[in-house]
Amino acid sequence: MSGRKNNRARGLAVFFLVLPLFLFLVSLSIGSYGISPRGLFKTMVSIVAPSSHPDVPLAYRDILLRIRLPRILLAMAVGASLSVSGASLQALFKNPLVNEYILGISSGAAFGAALSLVFLGRAVPPQIAGFVFAVVAVGAVLLISGKAESHFITLLLTGIIVTAFFSALLSLVEFFASPYVLQALFFWLMGSLSLASWKDLYISLPLIAVGLVILFLLRWRLNVLSMSDEEARSLGVNVRREKILVIAATTLITAAATAIVGIIGWLGFIVPHLVRMMFGADNRRVVPLSAALGASLMLVADDIIRGVSPFEIPIGIFTSLVGIPIFLVLLKKTRKVWL
Amino acid sequence: MSHFQAAGCQKGPFWRRPLLIMCSSAVLLAGTLFPSQGQTIKDNLNRTVTVPPRAERILSLQPEITRILVALGAADRLVGLDYFIGRDDHLFKILYPDGTGLPVVSRPDASINKEVIVRLDPDIIFTSPTELQVPDSIQRSLGIPVAALASMGRFDGLLKEIEIIGVLTGREERAEELGRYFQEKIRFVTESIGPLDPEARPSVYLAFWSSLVRTPVFYEPVQAAGGRNVADHLLPSYIGTIGTIVTLEQVIKWNPDIVLIQGSFLPREREVTVEGVLGDKRLGSLKAVARRRVHYTLGFWYWWDPAGVLVETLYLARLFHPDKFGRLDLEEEGNAIYEMFYKKKDVFTELVKFLGFHERTEK
Amino acid sequence: MSVQVSNLKFAYPEFSLRVDELAFERAKVTAIVGPNGAGKTTFLKCLGAVLPIPKGSLFIDGRDLASLRSQERARLVCYVPQEHDTTFNYAVSDFVLMGRASYISPFALPSKEDARAASEALDFVGLTHYAERLISELSSGERRLVLIARALAQQSDILLMDEPTTFLDPKHETEVFQLIRKLASGKMKTVLVTLHSLEMAVQHSDQMVFMKRGEVVAHGKSAEIFEDSLLERVYDMKMKIIDWEGRKIVIR
Repeated sequence: MSGRKNNRARGLAVFFLVLPLFLFLVSLSIGSYGISPRGLFKTMVSIVAPSSHPDVPLAYRDILLRIRLPRILLAMAVGASLSVSGASLQALFKNPLVNEYILGISSGAAFGAALSLVFLGRAVPPQIAGFVFAVVAVGAVLLISGKAESHFITLLLTGIIVTAFFSALLSLVEFFASPYVLQALFFWLMGSLSLASWKDLYISLPLIAVGLVILFLLRWRLNVLSMSDEEARSLGVNVRREKILVIAATTLITAAATAIVGIIGWLGFIVPHLVRMMFGADNRRVVPLSAALGASLMLVADDIIRGVSPFEIPIGIFTSLVGIPIFLVLLKKTRKVWL
Repeated sequence: MSHFQAAGCQKGPFWRRPLLIMCSSAVLLAGTLFPSQGQTIKDNLNRTVTVPPRAERILSLQPEITRILVALGAADRLVGLDYFIGRDDHLFKILYPDGTGLPVVSRPDASINKEVIVRLDPDIIFTSPTELQVPDSIQRSLGIPVAALASMGRFDGLLKEIEIIGVLTGREERAEELGRYFQEKIRFVTESIGPLDPEARPSVYLAFWSSLVRTPVFYEPVQAAGGRNVADHLLPSYIGTIGTIVTLEQVIKWNPDIVLIQGSFLPREREVTVEGVLGDKRLGSLKAVARRRVHYTLGFWYWWDPAGVLVETLYLARLFHPDKFGRLDLEEEGNAIYEMFYKKKDVFTELVKFLGFHERTEK
Repeated sequence: MSVQVSNLKFAYPEFSLRVDELAFERAKVTAIVGPNGAGKTTFLKCLGAVLPIPKGSLFIDGRDLASLRSQERARLVCYVPQEHDTTFNYAVSDFVLMGRASYISPFALPSKEDARAASEALDFVGLTHYAERLISELSSGERRLVLIARALAQQSDILLMDEPTTFLDPKHETEVFQLIRKLASGKMKTVLVTLHSLEMAVQHSDQMVFMKRGEVVAHGKSAEIFEDSLLERVYDMKMKIIDWEGRKIVIR
């Protein structure tokens, strides 16, 4: 009986791990500029071997390589980052109500972007400033909670305070902004993949890759860290050091993702729960499957946005609309107690 | 800014617009026949506002209205300005130097200082329809009539405003003069172009509001100048606005003949530039890029300046149909138009200098 | 494996612990008893370095525990809490596997050897058939056994168990004590347990330590020191010890 259940679980896991790759190919063919699957194939071949299909229009190649591909990669990277980040922090803080923004990343990044757009002009692009201040916010939270940083409530409250502080700073910056910069800022804050370009990816992808690799390697360790601090200590873990390592890695990937696409809520909270509901709490499974499911969810959401409407719906809203019903359905259907 | 609010449907059969004009004109006419009762207008947020017959104290939080007041010679009735005219409008200081003494009442985040408004005691307040909550909020708490008016990218909207303000300030004659002048100039353009097959109209994509993907669905200068806005069949994002957001793929699909970038920002503040577009590898397949037909247009400068939009239409007409406007001296015309509206010389030359629009003044 | 306490001090805001000199014998079970608030749990946590202790206060085989790295310390001594707060519902086998944390580097995964140690530990407590079950599906007695299994997987020489039998029914209580005895005599582990039940303590331990208000009042072989007068001194109430068929019963 358990053997059959195990096989089913394994099959499902493989399905989810492969899903992003499949969706990747599907997503390449979706967009306002209709390209048939045949056209898509010819274009991809002609990119690798330029002389093979000289009749492929320049527009196809530009769209595929410069518009769709970076956007799809970004969607996958962001989806994976936020989900793994959420999963790791939920384990670390032993609290399933945690999301990846609790340490102030979202408001720090928003403030950084605003600062860049309003005062720094082109000198420092909003993505970099957003990243820097997201990290600053987390650093502030850790510094302020000090020795008590191990206590979840302290960290949570400090996170709330730092978030509020940066939000206030953000309002102040908005106050001084000219209306045109304000418009650019609002567009950024809404959270969107619409202007994803290779430039953004060159910087953010390596950062995200580093953070994801670290968290992937730490995936079993997260089980141990999800024990109470006392238990973890007695199990032989240097709790403080490893906590900071996890926080650093999650901050890296969340800040990098948020700095480029803005704030995308709910994903980092819902995806790990979905995974735990289906596969149990062992982080050896939760971490990679959260990455895969997060990437898939983002791709599906973005595909719908790109395929259905001629104008852009901010993806953060969309991920909630897609993710929450799925969550509710699974919640009703699940028989296992996963919390 | 939410992009979800239901947009008023503006597309429809060809007779709808003239019908709308006739109806609103009828309403206006009814209003002017009984001046002592004031006008009842329907503003651009579909609110019905009773405007007093005459206003001695006007608070204009809508730069387009402010400029019209100056053009009508009724700027002495202004009791306050909005932040945009007060701070960011490069031209206003030239057009109405006395305006620097007026209090600025609104802030960039669309908030307003109600106490200052009470102190200023205006008879009427004008706001922009893009700031949705402001009109009702002020009217409810202060009881002063608030009209959210804007041209919405259309000449008839602009002309209607001129008429309304004319009646409001007792400057009907001047309003009529300007209205006629405006329509003459537009007629000059359309007649010079002559009848056009749809294919003879160059397709134009307007990259406005500091973004490659934000575009207005109404921008009449393009149409009057004999072009076609590729986005004209789309719906605006929400009521009170005329802009929408598209995708780069959509722009590439449209493959416009010409790309126009909103150039009313000072060069150092421009996020989207001609060089940027020409160098953007994603847009390499656009014929506009290949043929280097990427230009700046004045666009919106918090809605319009009536003189500015006329000059702009002339410039676009020359851009789209150079064969028909070869002998047009844009600088001379431009200065003349500004002088007609604002009684100041060489304003267009100044504007060209600010904005770096040297194309327009090259002979 | 000698455990030597020397001048151990720890202070909470309203309570301070102070143990001057104390030694524990290898492969023996020592029961730590005393009234509520005597500091038994605090003492145990200090012994496990779960609470920070000053250098020079605790030596295991001559090594200062406070100066060891967490991994080395964990292989020497393991603190088993009374209860485990289940936020995440792990499978029993995964839970026990966590005991191997000190043998696995942070970036590595458990090896086959770790898996074997874990399953052996689970076997020792008699719960192999529960390996795939979730923690939440176990009774509290079974959960205690799983906690002990995890401690076993850790393979430390010294086990510190905080009230392992509190709230258990008599059957499970006896099971746990039998287990503790097996750990000491069979696996040569030094076991320290805090207990409330004096009768269980004297019956199942080799040595006893009496604590009161943060200090050690008495310690020695269980059979020898268990006396009326000591109990009265520690618990501030009259008690009488009765011998019945070799078992000691305390009448209050």
